[in-house]
Amino acid sequence: MRYAYFPGCSVEASAKEYEMSADAVNRVLGVEFVEIPDWNCCGSIDAVHAYNPKLSLALSARNFSIAETMKMDIVTLCSACFFTLSRANKMMREDSALKGTVDRIINDAGLKFAGDANIRHYLDVLINDVGTEKIARNVKLSLKGLKVAPYYGCLLVRPPQVRSFDDPEHPKSIDKIVDALGAASVNYGDKTRCCGASLVLTDETVMLNMTKDLLLSAKSLGADCIVTPCPMCHFNLDAKQKQIESHFDVKIGIPVLYITQLIGLAFGIQLKDLGLQRNIVSPASVLKKLKTISHACS
Amino acid sequence: MERKGNNYITDRASDPVFLEETKKTVAGKKMLDCIQCGVCAGSCHARFAMDYSPMQIIKMVHLGLKEDVLSSSTIWICASCYTCTSRCPQGIDIPALMSQLKNMAIQNNIPAKIPTKPKFHKAFTEIVGKYGRMHEPELQVRLMDKSDLGQLFNTARLGLRMWRKGKVKLSPSRIERKRDVEAIFKGAMEKEEKK
Repeated sequence: MRYAYFPGCSVEASAKEYEMSADAVNRVLGVEFVEIPDWNCCGSIDAVHAYNPKLSLALSARNFSIAETMKMDIVTLCSACFFTLSRANKMMREDSALKGTVDRIINDAGLKFAGDANIRHYLDVLINDVGTEKIARNVKLSLKGLKVAPYYGCLLVRPPQVRSFDDPEHPKSIDKIVDALGAASVNYGDKTRCCGASLVLTDETVMLNMTKDLLLSAKSLGADCIVTPCPMCHFNLDAKQKQIESHFDVKIGIPVLYITQLIGLAFGIQLKDLGLQRNIVSPASVLKKLKTISHACS
Repeated sequence: MERKGNNYITDRASDPVFLEETKKTVAGKKMLDCIQCGVCAGSCHARFAMDYSPMQIIKMVHLGLKEDVLSSSTIWICASCYTCTSRCPQGIDIPALMSQLKNMAIQNNIPAKIPTKPKFHKAFTEIVGKYGRMHEPELQVRLMDKSDLGQLFNTARLGLRMWRKGKVKLSPSRIERKRDVEAIFKGAMEKEEKK
């Protein structure tokens, strides 16, 4: 299983552990990422689009112009990149006048693109190409007894008009993977509620309020950790958690793992290869519980 | 937070050109299909921080209330989470409309209720123009309000926490064929002016 891999800007820096853990999991599952050479910013639907909508589309289009020659599905780990690229592709496929405008911009840069790329999120690949059976077969340490709150966030499954591999209101793909690993997913009602990631640098109090609710509801459900497939969500839930605790004077302390880190733990992959030392909220409580579980099993 | 209630038809003159302008954009195409059902308003996760609900904003665009719309906090608070669009019975792309309205506010030099927002979009775009990719620390520094000591303290503390965990990449990642991105920026900026 080979894919044209679009890393996106955050997995190069603040979310490096997401890529590290995905690479480690891919080696077990026989998935190969071939990085799109010289990729650029996806065109960020939120940030660039408001400043200049055509620029956002043209930035997406440059990535397509390179990736299309690779003749593979494009895969990305980031929900925001996934949405931006999918939406740009769909808009230009459906609106020939719009595609014409973007074509002219791209042609001036000496590039061309067809707009026929297939853009997918890594979670879609895990569920539909790899399959939960194969994931379950590779489990070395069952996570039985671990309670996980699956947090899907926004742009992974919404809106269904753009592209959807899961239900926009009640997605199940992470739950299925959690189940395959032997852990229990809690019925997390806030699993698609927005964390406010796009407001993090501009309307911090609004964002802190939005993320606080997600953290507290996961905690009140007795979850040992939250798992997410998005670097933007992860930043808010993990890196901002201490600030939320002091801002609202609440104690939360819930570890937030990337879905790939959770899979990696069940596959028995070394902690450092999963980048768990890079998570801001220490995952020690999860590791301790897993140790107890493995002792109980042996 | 300031709330204006439901009496949003103000005594300011309605601007019919505003509706026409908005309708012409990709995002504004289906906007007239709105049946004012309120599903977007009830679904919005950020409504608590907005002065008008998304449903009200759409109606205000229909009425041509340009100034009220473009000076609202709503257009900047929208977090583009797409809950509204997923549930909208008319399939209106509301976050894209909000994004279009942000763009119009920037073009018309209308002061934003959340002043950091236009700065954010400008800084983000310029950094991408410089490297072809985002450079997180640079964006953070450009948006810091140097007079807000509380914010400086929080930013510094988070920065340190992230630094210790190896999450701060000081040198930007740059694309090799920088001239591609320069040409794209040039082309897109010209198209924007001609609009």
